Amino acid sequence: MKKRMLGVIDATTYHEDLEELTVHRSLAAVPFAGRYRLIDFVLSNMVNSDIESVAIFPKYQYRSLMDHLGSGKNWDLNRKRDGLFFFPSPLLDSPSKGIGSFNHFAANLDYFYRSKQEYALISNCFTVFNMDFRPVLDRHIMTGCDITVVRQDGRSLEMYLVKTSLLVSLIENRNETGYTCMSDVVTDIHHSYTICNYEYDGLAVMIDSIENYFAASMGLLEPEAWNNIFLRSQPIYTKVKDEPPTRYMKGASAKNSMIANGCMIEGTVENSIISRGVKIGKGSVVKNCMIMQKTQIGENCVLDSVILDKDVKVESGARIEGRHEMPLVIRKGTVQGALMNS
Amino acid sequence: MGKKKCVAMLLAGGKGSRLSSLTKSLAKPAVPFGGKYRIIDFTLSNCTNSGIDTVGVLTQYQPLVLNSYIGIGSAWDLDRKNGGVTVLPPYSESSEVKWYTGTASAIYQNLNYLKQYDPEYVLILSGDHIYKMNYELMLNYHIEKGADATISVIEVPWPEASRFGIMNTDKEMRVAEFEEKPAYPKNNLASMGIYIFNWPVLKEYLEMDDRNPESSHDFGKDIIPLMLDENKKLFAYPFNGYWKDVGTVKSLWEANMDLLDDECELNLFDHDWRIYSVNPNHPPQYISTQAEVAESLINEGCTIEGEVEKSVLFQGVLVGKNTVIRESVIMPDAVIGENVYIEKAIVPSGMNIPDGVVISASEEDDEIILITQEMIQGICS
Repeated sequence: MKKRMLGVIDATTYHEDLEELTVHRSLAAVPFAGRYRLIDFVLSNMVNSDIESVAIFPKYQYRSLMDHLGSGKNWDLNRKRDGLFFFPSPLLDSPSKGIGSFNHFAANLDYFYRSKQEYALISNCFTVFNMDFRPVLDRHIMTGCDITVVRQDGRSLEMYLVKTSLLVSLIENRNETGYTCMSDVVTDIHHSYTICNYEYDGLAVMIDSIENYFAASMGLLEPEAWNNIFLRSQPIYTKVKDEPPTRYMKGASAKNSMIANGCMIEGTVENSIISRGVKIGKGSVVKNCMIMQKTQIGENCVLDSVILDKDVKVESGARIEGRHEMPLVIRKGTVQGALMNS
Repeated sequence: MGKKKCVAMLLAGGKGSRLSSLTKSLAKPAVPFGGKYRIIDFTLSNCTNSGIDTVGVLTQYQPLVLNSYIGIGSAWDLDRKNGGVTVLPPYSESSEVKWYTGTASAIYQNLNYLKQYDPEYVLILSGDHIYKMNYELMLNYHIEKGADATISVIEVPWPEASRFGIMNTDKEMRVAEFEEKPAYPKNNLASMGIYIFNWPVLKEYLEMDDRNPESSHDFGKDIIPLMLDENKKLFAYPFNGYWKDVGTVKSLWEANMDLLDDECELNLFDHDWRIYSVNPNHPPQYISTQAEVAESLINEGCTIEGEVEKSVLFQGVLVGKNTVIRESVIMPDAVIGENVYIEKAIVPSGMNIPDGVVISASEEDDEIILITQEMIQGICS
């Protein structure tokens, strides 16, 4: 039953509301849950659903995404047959947007011609979920529909299952039909395809703003959400970093937090998500925060409702506070002195 | 096969009997250590960090876990087209099956592996120790001294010297005499079981040793004394730093506790000398609202709802509500129930500790408890 589906990940999306986090990286590479990037979720789901050929179509700032994915080894996609394919956009300034940007696919039509898989699953790159796609395929075949749209509570999750041959013809005829992407097809009232819906009842959050990024992150601290996303039988894979376990020093305290490896914690952490290799100094209190990789927080700092991007340095004694409904975002690589933001 | 300057041979067949039930179904080098590693990770990472890319790993006792852990060596960046890691189990010849009877016989039976690379030097290592060492510096020393063989040594406290193989050296560090566990040691430089040989010399002596029916085919007992008798140039290479043979339950526990000590020289957080290991893909650890953690080393995939103090927790460990864990080592995927109390103990991989179990050593006893399935059944019945 293997080798039936192609995975197509559209990583061309850009959300203005996430600009603070996407200055240096594509949306697909936005860090999440302490050790992942957004793309890890859909990519791992594809791998766990026996998809052995995945094509990624990135557009903006894809250096960090390429660095993250490498040869695909961490997802077991470094294969002789099939595996991971990376197709950066040749049309950087074109206005094409939305899921399934057919122009971008068209530039790489050979991939679709050469692939033997009968079906293709086209997905966005910014949904946090842990989903088995195999039942979607079973339903798609059983119903005989042309296009199956994955939905949650009626809302499209911007994931589509089609026959590869139909996808190819949609791409080839994009100029005649005017369809620029999959959502154009399914939202057109005049189309001639049978469209079915697949209702997904697990947890799925599409990240499209700082507010919902922060809310989704904090939501993971609820055991119910946690257990829905992190399943031993269907792990979420990511780039391995070889960090040692996290060390809690004398005076450290942690409560209701998710903490990745390689951290050194001497202060207090509450209701927060701490990524790999973070240092939190003596006497510092970190509450309701999301702290990304290798950020260093000095001594006696107070941080509340803040998203600290990668490699930020917070000098001792600094006080940074955002609002819970709208956290403050501190950009990558910046230095926060004790007298700033106070 | 391309020629190599230096090839490492890593002896990983040790049974580690004093580790009791921990090594019942796996070899000592595969015993978990330090919250995410296995003992052999230190030696393999030292090879990679020292620029040695060709490593033969000699396995014999309970090799399944170790073999599948090593795989093709990718975790240590040792999956190479030329060289890389090769697992070398004992094999049968047309006439007989040849088990590795000693450290020297294990290498002797793999001379063909070494011949493929025609190295200038052969580094002999043991997969039983916790330490970080740059073998390149030792090789440079070996070359500078113009030695036939160099043995890495570490200063041990005088009262303990009689437990080790002791090198008696002159002031140039040339070895004059080797004494295995001397009752009255003349020196306190202990052999670390790490040797560099010039390849032609090693080959010659291994072949000679094989022909000697009296030999126990051991480097320390046979090869080194024979080379000294024949006036070969043997030098001791002094190593300064953390080095521990985790051969007993107590020393394994102590070495884990050392990682919680700020003064400890073994720094796992040094990015210039990373210790690599196979990554099991767990989510970050989750510390619940009721939990308390202090002075501990905790790996990914743990869920902590109780109190953890001065302990080392491996990946995937669950600690239930109102449970207290003190000065203990909890190995991968152990499940500790609610209202449990564990002090000064080692909980082996995958063990299930039911609710309400209390395990702690008596006050006067400073032994470390290695928890076994029988022990748990005894408590719960």
